[in-house]
Order: sequence, then C-alpha cells, then structure tokens
Amino acid sequence: MGVWYIIYSLDMQRYFQFSILSMVFTYLLIFIGGLVRVSGAGMGCPDWPRCFGRWIPPTSLSQLPDYIDPEKFNLVLAWVEYLNRLFGALVGFIILITFVLGYLHFKKSKHVLLSISIAFFLTLLEGWVGAKLVDTILDPITITIHLLLALIIIGLIIYSSIQSYYLIVGNFEKSSNYHPHLKSVIIGILVCLFIEIIIGTEIRGGLDMSRKDNPLIESIILLKMLGPFKYIHTILGFSLLGLTLYLRKIVYDIKFRSSPFMINSVNFIMILIVTQILLGESLVFFDVKPLMQLFHMWFSSLLIGLAVSVFTFWKISLEP
Amino acid sequence: MIKKSYIISVVTIISFLGISATWVISKANDSIHELPAIIKKVPDFSMTSHTGTPFNQDSLKNKISILDFIFTSCPGPCPIMSTNMRTLYKQYKLHPNLQFISISVDPEYDTQDVLKLYADANGVDDERWKFLRTDMESVKKLNKEGFMFMSESLPAGHSVKFVLIDEEGNIRQYYNGTDKGSISILRNHINSFLKTFSENA
Repeated sequence: MGVWYIIYSLDMQRYFQFSILSMVFTYLLIFIGGLVRVSGAGMGCPDWPRCFGRWIPPTSLSQLPDYIDPEKFNLVLAWVEYLNRLFGALVGFIILITFVLGYLHFKKSKHVLLSISIAFFLTLLEGWVGAKLVDTILDPITITIHLLLALIIIGLIIYSSIQSYYLIVGNFEKSSNYHPHLKSVIIGILVCLFIEIIIGTEIRGGLDMSRKDNPLIESIILLKMLGPFKYIHTILGFSLLGLTLYLRKIVYDIKFRSSPFMINSVNFIMILIVTQILLGESLVFFDVKPLMQLFHMWFSSLLIGLAVSVFTFWKISLEP
Repeated sequence: MIKKSYIISVVTIISFLGISATWVISKANDSIHELPAIIKKVPDFSMTSHTGTPFNQDSLKNKISILDFIFTSCPGPCPIMSTNMRTLYKQYKLHPNLQFISISVDPEYDTQDVLKLYADANGVDDERWKFLRTDMESVKKLNKEGFMFMSESLPAGHSVKFVLIDEEGNIRQYYNGTDKGSISILRNHINSFLKTFSENA
C-alpha cells in the first residue's frame, strides 16, 4: 500500500513538473510571438501550416512554388515566423502531455483537471487563430484575440499548477488568513490588466495604421496623434499602481497572516507595475523601440500570471 | 528579502532574452529594408500623359516610380490594381519624389480624354500619378521587351504586377498589384528608397 502511494504521489508530482514546464514554455512562446510581431515577421510565411509550400522553409528563391509571388520571400522573416510555429507545436505537445497526466492523476480534482482541460482546448483554438492570422494578413482584432487567448491559457496553467501543488503537499496556506478586501482587489487588478492589455494592443494597431498613412514620420509623433486611447492606458496604469499599493498594504497588515508565496507574488507585481509604467512612458517620451515594446507586452503577461497566482493562493487559504 | 540568487537569475534570463531579441529584430529590420537588386534598365520609350504632356525614359530620372499596365474598360483585376495604386497615391501625398505611372494597354479606346476621366475618377489632383498612352505596337514592345511580361493577348491578358523603378530608371522589383501582402512589402521598399533618396539629397 505504501509503495503504491509513493508511486501515485510521484505521478502527481510529475503532473506538477509538467505544468511548470508548460508554464515556462508558454511564457517563452508569448515572448517569441511578440518578437514575431515587433520584427514584422508575421507574414514571413504567406501560407499555413507550411511555409512557401514546404515543411522546411526555402533558403533560396528557386525553391518557391509557382503560386506564391516571389517578392514575398524574405529568408530572415520566413525563419523567424517558422521557428515561432515550430516552438508553438512543441508547447502544444507539452500542454497535451500535461493534460493527459492531469486526466490520469487528478480525476477527482475539478480545479486541476478542468483548468488544464480548458487550457488544452484553448491551445488547439490558439493554433487555429494563428492560421487565421495568416489568412487575414494580420487582422488587428485577430492579433488581439491571439494574445488574449495566450494570456487565458497561461492563467489556467498556473491556476492548475498551484492547485495540484496544494493537493500534493497539503494546504500550504493553512496558517494564512487574508484581509476581506483581498478578493475584490485582486479581481479588480485582473480585470484592469485585461482591459489595459486590450487598449495596449489597440494603441499598437493604431500606430501601425497611422504609420501606413504617414510613412517616414517618427513613431513618437504618430503616437501623439493617437488621442484618447493613450491617455486611458496611462490613467489605468496608474490606477493599477494604486490597487497594487493597496494590495501590498493589506498583505503586509499585521492583523492578518500572509504566506511567503503571497508576499513574494505581491512584491513581484509591485516591481513589474512600476517597470511597466516606466517602460510605457519611455515609449511615449523617447521613441517606440521594438525591444521595449516587446518587453512591455511580455511583462504584462507575467503580471497576469502573478495576479492569477495571488488569486489562487487566496482561494486555497479558504480550504480546510 | 528576496534572495540574491533570484535577482541574479532574473537579470540573467531577461538579459539573455533581450540580447537574442535585439539580434533577431536587427536582422529582420535589415532584411525588410534591404533594397532589391537592379533587374534591368527600362528601355527608351515615348508616351503622352492624360494631361497631354510628353513622358519618356528621362521622366523616370530622379524619382522613384511605381508602374503598372491597365486599361480603363477592364472588368477584371484593373479596378483592384487601381484601388491599391490609389491607396498608395494618397498615403504618399507628402512625397513628390514618388510617382505613379499607369500605362494603357488599350490605346485605341483609352484616348487622352478617357484617361483624363479615369484619372479624375481615381481622385488624381496633382502630377504624381500619370496615365500614359502610345500606339499599340510600342506598348506591346515595352510590355514584353522592356518589362519582360509574358502577356499574350493584350489588352485582356496584361500583367497584374506593380513595378518598382529606381531614380536611375532601373527595374528593382515586381509586386502582385492585387495582393495586400505584396503591397505591404512594396510599401517597405518605397520607404527604404525614399529614406536613402532624402539622405542623398
């Protein structure tokens, strides 16, 4: 009996390990996806899933099929886009294994199984949206959906991962108790983050549109022409800072007891929000540098993950 | 307190990602803005524009040109081509160094007056977009020998390509004039050309 228990619990740990692996790889994929966006490689392969009709992208013009216009071939962009797809397939595979392990070992936990199942199906949907992006020649709304889906997937993976950890090691939040406002504050932060990200993609899309109509004009001037979106983005950014300061205050309140997980996550959120505001404002005041844009987007995905973690720690603290 | 090793690993990861991303972005940027090589020189020709002014190979000098072959009564791809050309014409309204040229492959029907009406319908209100005509034989010759189009029966079988011509009258690249993806690549090349153009000037 004892041996079986150890094997069973090892398997649960395997799930936890794979869920962490899924998380790390999904974050890398979000980074690579952002890299494709800022380097302008989104149409690097004009077809999907193959690239110029080939499973390995062409290395010279002579390898192009007749039905594709040769001017579309750019070796660098084709490979950047194709590596994104290959990495996407790898991440899909890792999430599939995590999902199978979840199904095998966490049948009784709806928190773990349901969230990883939804994450897996959304991953399939995400692949399909990726194909649609190529079909629609990078339609701005489809780009936003592509990013939002990735954020929901990462949130679900993290939620499932922490819930499985709870089932493996027992209630690590047993001795914690939190301020009654914590739930609404963290939900408020999550909602604000999502709105902020949607507005952010709108600004990015608007910048692309106005760059088309005003070629050769500095991005910084175009950004000033964008109008209200930019101000809402800034105002909401500072509201998020306010909410996080309050979150930090109630987590550090000596009348309550917070776990180290909670304290570290909240501190990371704090650091990231401040970094995001600095990055965002430097995009406005200096020039829109692709690398800064990329990190601005990627840090927002880290923020979503941390906010989901805080929510999950709080939820687990309510369990017996 | 957050452990020192955490901070070091976070900084390492971010630096690694940042350096790799910078490398990819700069490679991609170079490849996007790399000017296409010279294909061949546009041969001598002589035509008349919709406003009645003469236009020949020398009119291509000191300007970046986007050129296509169309005919005004064309039911098929020409309206799409002209719509895409019109979009570019409007987007680059502040750039007199960029000109647009549409050559009629049906000069019998497309008289100067017809071309003038077509230009008006496309919102042409300055010298940047010219609609040209000459005799059918010269058009056929320019189409085939000058631009290497394998178009069989003109006018209906004309090419849907846009041709990018540099300031010395060299053909630099062909683009599908009915395809948004191709047009966006053309836009990148126009921007690079205009940039080097203004730097040289």
